[in-house]
Amino acid sequence: MILTQKLNAGYKDVHVLFDINATIEPNKITAVVGPNGSGKSTFLKAIFGLASVYSGNVIFKDNDITNVPSHERTKLGIAYLPQVDNVFTNLTVNENLKIAGYTLDKKEFEVRKGIALRAFPELKDFLGRKSGTLSGGERQFLAIATALIRKAEVLMLDEPTAQLSPKFAEIIFDKIVELRDDFNLTIILVEQNITRALEISEKAYLLVSGRVAFEGKSDELRDHERFEKLCMGLV
Amino acid sequence: MPVLEGAIIYANLIVLLSLGLTMTYITTAVPNFAQGSFAVFGSYVSLTLLRLHGLNPIYYLIGEPSGKEDFFKYIMTSIPISFVLGGVLGVLIYVLVLKPLIAKGAEVVMLMIATLAVDLILLGCLGAYAGYLGSITKKGAVKFIFTPYDINIGPTQGIFIVSILVILILLFSLFLLLYKTKFGVAMRASMENPSLAVIMGVNVEYTRIFSWFLSGGLAAVAGCLLPFRQEIVPATGSIIIVSIFAASIVGGLGTIYGALFGGYIIGISESYITYQLSTVFGPGILVYGKVISLVILVITLILAPKGLTGVRWRKIWRRSTSS
Ligand SMILES: Nc1ncnc2c1ncn2[C@@H]1O[C@H](COP(=O)(O)OP(=O)(O)O)[C@@H](O)[C@H]1O
Ligand SMILES: [Mg+2]
Repeated sequence: MILTQKLNAGYKDVHVLFDINATIEPNKITAVVGPNGSGKSTFLKAIFGLASVYSGNVIFKDNDITNVPSHERTKLGIAYLPQVDNVFTNLTVNENLKIAGYTLDKKEFEVRKGIALRAFPELKDFLGRKSGTLSGGERQFLAIATALIRKAEVLMLDEPTAQLSPKFAEIIFDKIVELRDDFNLTIILVEQNITRALEISEKAYLLVSGRVAFEGKSDELRDHERFEKLCMGLV
Repeated sequence: MPVLEGAIIYANLIVLLSLGLTMTYITTAVPNFAQGSFAVFGSYVSLTLLRLHGLNPIYYLIGEPSGKEDFFKYIMTSIPISFVLGGVLGVLIYVLVLKPLIAKGAEVVMLMIATLAVDLILLGCLGAYAGYLGSITKKGAVKFIFTPYDINIGPTQGIFIVSILVILILLFSLFLLLYKTKFGVAMRASMENPSLAVIMGVNVEYTRIFSWFLSGGLAAVAGCLLPFRQEIVPATGSIIIVSIFAASIVGGLGTIYGALFGGYIIGISESYITYQLSTVFGPGILVYGKVISLVILVITLILAPKGLTGVRWRKIWRRSTSS
């Protein structure tokens, strides 16, 4: 679904990712894990075109999209949920959903909004509320709902459970699996909670200092005898 | 004209100007020192229409009883024309001057200096144009005032009613645009978090260009009513820019409502307080009207650095009622 080929990326003169070759397979959850600052968020931003790509390519469904502007990648079917500031706090819940459907025509938007609200029925109760007044968990629901409206085929989630209570985190993990199955979504999941991420995903990438330290089946990584050391970049 | 009426007219125009200033500051982080000259541009557009076609912006809105042959005069008058031309001017300045600088990573100070340069260029162009217009119409155009063209409506002046109508219509349209259209919601979204707006598929650059169109358009509309209240010369912009900035900053540069509050506070105090002072200290003081704006500006910055809309009024209210 998505390929990165020898991807080198970063922020202007801060080189973060080195020669990343990754294959994201359709209708699967791919977990991206690694220590803080290892470049997980940058990896998602590079795929979406929000980080500078120095060399290498991003391929989406056999098309090279390395030079496509970010707002056009949304139209192609890639939805990206940033780690922080992923809803417009000054806008109401309803307006957030409306903006999420910016690239859709009215009829299609209504259909997608229905789908998103069926996936997150909790949101129906506060459509008119300013998103800034929602709790962390509710805000995360809204953020994922906006990704659903965008009619994405690929959903890139950056630490969707960070700062949530364990109860809400569990709900989100369940929703992620549900979304993959109900909407045939391809999901890239960046997570701090490595154990849960490896449980629900099929495939995993371990990033350490901007390089791929492990690539393979999630349970292989979980059962890897040198898992701890891998995480610390010692191997 | 009665003092309070005059103050309200002036405040209405300052609101239009500071709305645009705040809007382009939020969307593109440019403190536009040429905003005053955008207004004077509008003044010259309406002067041109008046001199060349005998069009009167007031009659257009109020409707002077006359024959059908005047219909096109009414339609083609200065408010809509100034709005569109002013908008085009705003877009040109943004696209030709500011956007290339922003793309090169220019800091706020550099953008500010760029707008000062634009202001000087506009001043030169307006001066040259005024001379040219004067020479082809054989009527002085470097200095002008429209008060002789004003009409009486009941006990009050036409311009008083018109400035209120204009601001009501424009604010209402702006509200409809920002809250009821998809593009408007996208504009508000881009103002709050441009990178998230991009993620949603919004072309944020369009919203920036459009904010410059609105800003230029609103400024030119203000400029086309301003000559009914004061004499216009090409350099008038560099005087009113003080009040425009004071209004935007007092209200708070973080939100466009700030411009509304700030505009009325500055606009009304500047003319009204100055007048009251002049009854005590003599008319000599009228020249120092801008000092009032600056004093309010300084006091606001000391007490509320983010302007009035940046103050958490609810918290203060709760604290003062609980103690
Ligand atoms: N906008 C930015 N500009 C410059 N450097 C950045 C920026 N964002 C992140 N970095 C740097 O890039 C590195 C990787 O960051 P990130 O991808 O956010 O890591 P992770 O998500 O794995 O914690 C860090 O060293 C961080 O300091
Ligand atoms: Mg991160």
